Amino acid sequence: MLAREMYEFRNVLRQQGIVFCYSGYITESVLTGIGEALKQKLVLEAADKTTMRNIFAIFVEQMQNVIRYSAEREPEDDTDADGELRYGIINIGIDDHRFFVSCGNKILSEDVDRLNARLGEIRDMNDEELKTLYKEKLRAPTEATSKGAGVGFIEIARRSSDTIVFDFMDIDDEHAFFALKAYS
Amino acid sequence: MEHIKIEATDRSPEIDFNFDANVFTIRGESYPEDVTAFYGEIIDNLESHLEGLEGGTVEFNFELIYFNSSTAKVLMGLFDTLEETAEGAVDVVVNWYYDEEDDTMEELGEEFAEDLEHATFNMKKSG
Repeated sequence: MLAREMYEFRNVLRQQGIVFCYSGYITESVLTGIGEALKQKLVLEAADKTTMRNIFAIFVEQMQNVIRYSAEREPEDDTDADGELRYGIINIGIDDHRFFVSCGNKILSEDVDRLNARLGEIRDMNDEELKTLYKEKLRAPTEATSKGAGVGFIEIARRSSDTIVFDFMDIDDEHAFFALKAYS
Repeated sequence: MEHIKIEATDRSPEIDFNFDANVFTIRGESYPEDVTAFYGEIIDNLESHLEGLEGGTVEFNFELIYFNSSTAKVLMGLFDTLEETAEGAVDVVVNWYYDEEDDTMEELGEEFAEDLEHATFNMKKSG
């Protein structure tokens, strides 16, 4: 029974081309560990170096987004940033000979409009516009609400060989679920 | 200033800052957990050293395989510092090494180079 249950779960993932799936609390050491395995898999798949580095880059930015911004966290107050855990789900797979990384996490409902607008702008930009915005953000002071450079989404869009796909879903009065997928 | 040598780890690059020779190298992969903790002090040291120079040549080697967006922010600041240094009496030579099979790293080098007017920039194939 247990074996069947797990095997069926595995098959659901495999049918969607998913090679790696992690759902749970994402920490920097989880990033390091999955990252090492991902590098090995990319070598075994004989991906070219540009694709390898781009898919790895998308993976790193997606994981660090969850670590920094997921609204599903323990403890719920933000007194100790070092001791906190943030929840997210990440899939890495192959779809029609292309690698993809998709990632999802809870966010606050009040952040949906801002994030949706920001990602929409990035999605619709051409390479030249993305480059200009990237350099502008690299020079800008770090945003108050951002623990990182605030350029992670631009990095993902630039490394992606196709248009980024993203979506939001309301969960309850205060929370929405946010998902982002990028190919390389 | 004393020579700074830091070994590479899985997620942070090798740092080799030779202040006496004015040869500085960052080599490897860079996506540290905490970018500020890794780069903050060494970049501060570098900046005060460069500010104190009255002439001569500074060589800066970037031999990076991969860096994340937080590191890119540090690199942008570093390029601006090197350009400011080159505006004075100091000659600055920046060497950007990239794997010839990695188009993205080549493009990133070209993009950083666009903003350099006084510093000399060389693209170098490796691997």
